[in-house]
Amino acid sequence: MIEFIRLRKEYDDLVAVEDLSLTIPQGEIFGLIGPNGAGKTTTIRMACGLLAPTTGRALVNNIDVAQEPEQAQRSIGYLSDFFAVYEDLKVWEYLDYFAHAYKVEESAIPARLAEVIAQVSLEVKRDAMIRGLSRGMKQRLGIARAIIHQPKVLLLDEPASGLDPKARLELRNLLRTLQDQGTTILISSHILTELEGFCTSIGIMEKGQMVRSGRIDEVTAAATPARHIRLSWLGDSADGIQRELSGNPQVSNVQVNISAGTFQFTGSEDDLAALLAKLVSSGVRVKSFSEIKQTVEDLYMKLSKHEVM
Amino acid sequence: MLKFWRNPEFVRHLRAELRPARVITVAFVIFFLCALIGLACWAERQTELENAIRYAHQYDGKWSAYSENLQHDNVRLTWLLLAKWLLGLQAGLLTFWSLFSCAQSVTGERDRKTWDFQRTTSLTSAELLVGKLLGEPVLAYFASLCVLPVALVAGFLGGITVRSLAAAYLSILVTALFLGLGGLWISTLLETRSRGVGLIGALAFYGFVIGTFGFATSWFPGLAAFSPLTGVYSILEIRFDNGREVTPMLFGHEMPWLVMTLLLCGSFGFWFALMLVRNLKRDYEDIRLLSRWQAVGCAAFLNFVFYALFTSGVHNPQSGELATFMVAINGIILFAIGLATLTPHERLKIWWRERIAGTGALFSENGLPWPWLALSALVAYALMVWGLLAWRLSLDFHVRSLGMAAVQLLIVLVFITRDVLFIQWSTLTRLRQPIVKGVLFLCLYYGAAGVFTALAAVSSEATGQIAMRLLTPVGVFDPVVEWPHVPASVYGGLAVQIGLIAAIIVMIANRLARPTLAPVASGD
Repeated sequence: MIEFIRLRKEYDDLVAVEDLSLTIPQGEIFGLIGPNGAGKTTTIRMACGLLAPTTGRALVNNIDVAQEPEQAQRSIGYLSDFFAVYEDLKVWEYLDYFAHAYKVEESAIPARLAEVIAQVSLEVKRDAMIRGLSRGMKQRLGIARAIIHQPKVLLLDEPASGLDPKARLELRNLLRTLQDQGTTILISSHILTELEGFCTSIGIMEKGQMVRSGRIDEVTAAATPARHIRLSWLGDSADGIQRELSGNPQVSNVQVNISAGTFQFTGSEDDLAALLAKLVSSGVRVKSFSEIKQTVEDLYMKLSKHEVM
Repeated sequence: MLKFWRNPEFVRHLRAELRPARVITVAFVIFFLCALIGLACWAERQTELENAIRYAHQYDGKWSAYSENLQHDNVRLTWLLLAKWLLGLQAGLLTFWSLFSCAQSVTGERDRKTWDFQRTTSLTSAELLVGKLLGEPVLAYFASLCVLPVALVAGFLGGITVRSLAAAYLSILVTALFLGLGGLWISTLLETRSRGVGLIGALAFYGFVIGTFGFATSWFPGLAAFSPLTGVYSILEIRFDNGREVTPMLFGHEMPWLVMTLLLCGSFGFWFALMLVRNLKRDYEDIRLLSRWQAVGCAAFLNFVFYALFTSGVHNPQSGELATFMVAINGIILFAIGLATLTPHERLKIWWRERIAGTGALFSENGLPWPWLALSALVAYALMVWGLLAWRLSLDFHVRSLGMAAVQLLIVLVFITRDVLFIQWSTLTRLRQPIVKGVLFLCLYYGAAGVFTALAAVSSEATGQIAMRLLTPVGVFDPVVEWPHVPASVYGGLAVQIGLIAAIIVMIANRLARPTLAPVASGD
């Protein structure tokens, strides 16, 4: 679990993070989104003990990171967009170093090394010098380093920048696996598609403040109380459809052209089914009728422009 | 605390630096070099022996006896020469390499962007410190270890006792560790892209430590124990200062050089270690070398060391001379303490808000450094009274020297406070590397004050003296200024500087009173 209590960081005359209060329960994948300079990196650096907060507290598994950094850091895995590694070590030596540095039990280290190396598909490079690895392999090694001590909390700051599509997919799968094992993950990114589909919660930061946060469905519901429906039909029914939809008090923002259209609907699932039935019974040859899902990008654009504030 | 040979940071260096191929190469090169040095020593001894035999044939008399002695003792002397060379090389290698590898350690990690990953591990600052201190120069330790058997055999065959050899190696090891701590300290203080500055700093530090050799004939001969040369010279019975044997004194008692090296490197190393343990895992912006009370303790310690190591020797100085010297030393100590206790902008702002709310104390960990400078000066003066009274039998003691020292220390304190507050103000501006720039501005000020004083002295010597007393603390050290008849211009200078201090505090307050702004976020 990660908890921020009125967390604040000032640099000279700037407030980078302003009195942030947030709780991320165990097993969540929390996506921290916002433009460059919003305070995402500063928040993550305070959460892993790299930066001391000006005021407030960051707790990881109920341990105050500023008060007991080494204790807290045992349960934190940290990965930044820079995958810096020690080029003069072998792959297994690098991971062995961090396993010892995180004080993993001595007897468990060999098995853990083998497991992590397999997780990031570097088995054939186990005894290779790091300087000979490709950039993608080094990035995978960085991920292995972050999880070598089986952290309960993973803090990832723009982890996929520079990763090729295949490596991104692997990272996504790895994070899902870790989530299944109960790991809490805080991941920051300004590339919204990166977070699409696997974050369970999101938080939108702007100018050091958390604009909105919560589980994705809750945030979506709060941001867009009306469902966005798309339909298409066969034949020349546009005028009839326009009339039918405009006459329904639960429908708004109707936009139709010759064979397709969109509208917003505020009723329940049953009401929506009834509307579809009514359209069909009125002779409209409905070809498709579906809800347009909100993407993280849509949500971000709405919230960051303060559309629903 | 982990055992050092299991310390992950040490093991990392061990693995990276001592790969089998490199180990074999280094060992081969070392043995080859030892053989070459051995041949050179043999050649030198042979030349001396042949010259002695030739002179014995030509002149007979004393030369015959000398050549006979040489022939009889030549093998032992050859081994002794080799042992001295090897010991000297080991001392140079270990001390130099320790300092320079450690001086690039943290800066190097910052440059490679690996430092954050080390800081987020469960290794404590102390564990990181030990790992880096012993790990960074591990190749130098290995090279020395390769030389060790040859040096030991040469030493024994050369007639050096086991005790002397052990003492020499202990002295070298302790100095190497001390220099390594100093190197790590330098490295911690440097931002990325400052490796060049770090190397210059390390070179200056090495020069200073080697140069302490020169203290052997000063009022504080014990300070020469910092230099690796002193210990090795003493143990190998090499005389310095025109053959006169110099021994360090502690509270007026003679001490062996080795003990003095252990005491000095141990105690000064402790302060380095304290600063490193406090700051090693901190973010660069959060580094504060010492807490305020530790800073006062450090000032007291440095003063104490000078009085403990003092010896009147053949100089037999007056108490006023020693007091003036200690005031000048305290100028340096107070400035260093002031720099070590500068408050980061962010913390100073917190203190300022507390101060506005009526909860921030003047003697605060996050407040301005000047109250602590005043306290340090007070402690320094108390130690001066104790020191001068303790040494009154060895000094030409006069009570008035205490009065004059009080005025001198007050003037120095006020000037140093002004300078430290100016640098504190610089840290609140948006200058890059504000401390370095603040110090450069101060150098500019003192340069300008010197020029102004020289110009004033053209009209009359008295005008020059007045200018010097108003603008610099140097005027109070003028021999014509005597207690209790201190010239009014000295107090005038004091008043001017106090006015400047008040103005700088107002400038600092204005900076701190500025409202904080939200950052301007940039979209992608």
